[in-house]
Amino acid sequence: MTALVARRLLALPLVAVAAAVLVFLLPRFSGQDTALAILRSRTGESDPDPAVLAALREQYGLDGSWWDQFTGWAGALLRGDLGISWTSRTPVSGLLWPALGVSLTLTVAALVLAALVGIPLGVRAARRPGGRLDRVLTTGSVLGVAIPEFVLGTALVLAFAVTVPVLPATGWGDVDQAVLPVLTLAAFPAALAAQLVRAETVDALARPHVAVARSKGISDGRVLWRHGGRLALTSVTSLSGLFLGGLLGGSVVVEVLFAIPGLGRLLYDAVLGQDLPVVQAGLLAIVLVAAVAGILAELLALALDPVARSAVR
Amino acid sequence: MPAACAVVAPRRSRLRVAVAVAVSAAVLTACGGSGGGSGRVVPDGQATIAMAFGPSAGYGVDTDDAFVVSQLGVTESLVASGPDGRPRPALATAWAQQSDPRTWRFELRPGVTFQNGEPLTGQAAATALNWVAGVAAPPRAVRGIGLQAAADGADAVRVTTTKPDPILPLRLSSANAAILAPSAYRATPPSVQQTGTGPMTITQANGTQSVTLVRNDRYWGERPQLAGVTANFVPDPAARALALRAGDADIAQELPEASALEFSGDEYVNQTVAAPRTASLILNQSRKPFADIRVRQAVAAAVDRTALGEQALAGSAIPASELFGPAVAWGSQDAPPPADPARARQLLTEAGYGPDNPLRIELGAYGARPELPTLATAVQEMLRGAGIEATVRIGDYDAREPQLLAGDFDMYLLSRSYLLDVPDAGATLTTDYTCQGSYNLNHYCSPEFDALLAPLATETDPAARQKVFTEAAAKLTADVVGVPLVHTNANGVGHRVTGYTVDPLAKSLVVPGLATTE
Repeated sequence: MTALVARRLLALPLVAVAAAVLVFLLPRFSGQDTALAILRSRTGESDPDPAVLAALREQYGLDGSWWDQFTGWAGALLRGDLGISWTSRTPVSGLLWPALGVSLTLTVAALVLAALVGIPLGVRAARRPGGRLDRVLTTGSVLGVAIPEFVLGTALVLAFAVTVPVLPATGWGDVDQAVLPVLTLAAFPAALAAQLVRAETVDALARPHVAVARSKGISDGRVLWRHGGRLALTSVTSLSGLFLGGLLGGSVVVEVLFAIPGLGRLLYDAVLGQDLPVVQAGLLAIVLVAAVAGILAELLALALDPVARSAVR
Repeated sequence: MPAACAVVAPRRSRLRVAVAVAVSAAVLTACGGSGGGSGRVVPDGQATIAMAFGPSAGYGVDTDDAFVVSQLGVTESLVASGPDGRPRPALATAWAQQSDPRTWRFELRPGVTFQNGEPLTGQAAATALNWVAGVAAPPRAVRGIGLQAAADGADAVRVTTTKPDPILPLRLSSANAAILAPSAYRATPPSVQQTGTGPMTITQANGTQSVTLVRNDRYWGERPQLAGVTANFVPDPAARALALRAGDADIAQELPEASALEFSGDEYVNQTVAAPRTASLILNQSRKPFADIRVRQAVAAAVDRTALGEQALAGSAIPASELFGPAVAWGSQDAPPPADPARARQLLTEAGYGPDNPLRIELGAYGARPELPTLATAVQEMLRGAGIEATVRIGDYDAREPQLLAGDFDMYLLSRSYLLDVPDAGATLTTDYTCQGSYNLNHYCSPEFDALLAPLATETDPAARQKVFTEAAAKLTADVVGVPLVHTNANGVGHRVTGYTVDPLAKSLVVPGLATTE
């Protein structure tokens, strides 16, 4: 176990370097003129002035070689300097950390809610495959997976902010403003977790040792949670690491719909404006958070699963 | 119940968000209204605004963010502009071109202080103007004119340009030419917090999410009726409509176009005005088939502009009869000519096209403005009725621009503002339609047209300039330089609000007379 943790922690710097190289190179393959994109993001320019573009290229070092640009950026990064946003001309750290905090809050809240709803439902449904609850859950989870966030989000706003005005439609900062976006974002992982837990639990309950446990007179409920639910929980825990990274970067629609100043929206704007310092720092943050979350999820899953734990000893 | 809800373009849309908005708007078609008020003004009221565009450049006055703080009543310029396109006093009370025609002198309004207490002086105005003119990417209003400002005593500023500039006062009415307190320029971009002269002061800027403002008790003009304003930046138009409906906002900017129908009647105050923007078919005259004026005339005859505005865009746009529309004093108020497909077919026959030799072209457009794909599809059908087979190609504008500038296209649907931040059409006419124009997408070149614009280089009288604009528009119509289709609207919806007007130039929104009602 300790060796595993050490291996994973040692891999982190490699992941960071690989991610840094990728996030530096990828935006440069877009084929667009970065100086023009900066200009358009500032003034919506339709009639670009070559002299202005040249001045911007010089100002941001875009007229230098890629290698010079990369070493300059990576060197500053190693000193903890994320640079200055080309569009807003303010420190990237001042934009990134608050946005990351908002998105992490949103994402973690959505994942916790998804787990609190999805796991018990999946385990319950697995008790009687084909039963009424199972059928309802299967239909509900298919809907939860299939309904896009913008449809669900809009429907929730119509229901709880317009028709019955108990919650605000937009904004961020108060607890009540988080309810609808968290619900919107939680639907997909909750549905997926419920499906996964149901399948894993059904599978687990069909194993011989469960039959033995039952023959010893252990109650159905105990069998269900101890043998089925715990195994399923392991799978869901592993999956949550992946989800965290995905939701962190992929919550653009929810953040735009609810006017939430999170990382997804920050990156969306930065990509459109070719604000490379923000794009690079944002992507790097997502990769690192996802990597750390993956390691934590793996360790947590091992802690929950004695069989797997013994395998890595 | 509403007839429909649709969408206005988010400034920066991509497919996913666009689809999200479209579906959200579709869902909105089922929504209903909420209560109205008595109409009595609330003393020292508070208003909440759902704004379409938030700060994306740190409130830099050299960027489009200048319009955000100008609309919020935070900043002001030396000059204001009226609906007639003429300059009006603001922080400057009078101005005059000097004996050296490259220099203008602006007399400052006495007794004005910035929101932090610093006095407005000639030096303060010069500092502000020199900063905005000296950035790497100066805004269009002050770009390329070699602007330099210097204090002329405590109460005036002299502004000099490389060449005589007949519209300098109008240029300085731009939101980008806002005058901030000298202390603002210690930061980059300059801080707009407490450093403007407008009726409202920023107390808290909450990133791209919101900003809170209070009344500026030092304001030199009429005492603002509102004691405070909260502006939430809500980029999604459907979300803005929902915020208004849910009561989260008293005013929602740039609502989905057909929401103008929904948010109307006794319960909402709906203000709509034609924006100085035209969606036009750009016809590439540098090669066949549109080098032939008969083919261009055929396209103009085939298109039913009234149907485009009233049916294709559900009445949310005004049919265009020429480049300029009713948003400006010199624009045409006339209805467009009716469609005449028979005449179009006849012109095509004369140009050598017909059933045996059908005219096939590509019609390009971009999706960042959602009305354009709708218009493109409708135009395609109208052209088909005249015997022109158009293949619609929707793509990204930025990717297509090099081809447009190089003349490698047939027909392109473009939405274009013709005022470019300054209430004077000279810049657009020069860049878009003269032989040496840097943005001449129609690839039109007429020495007569260039000669027509020549007086604009020196003419300072707004009426004389506007006469040139009118003549230029007529010449473009006669030469069928593209086909103007519709003028899209800027919509604003006020709910329990009085004193709200839509500024077509998007410079003002929170004005001293704005108030909430009971």
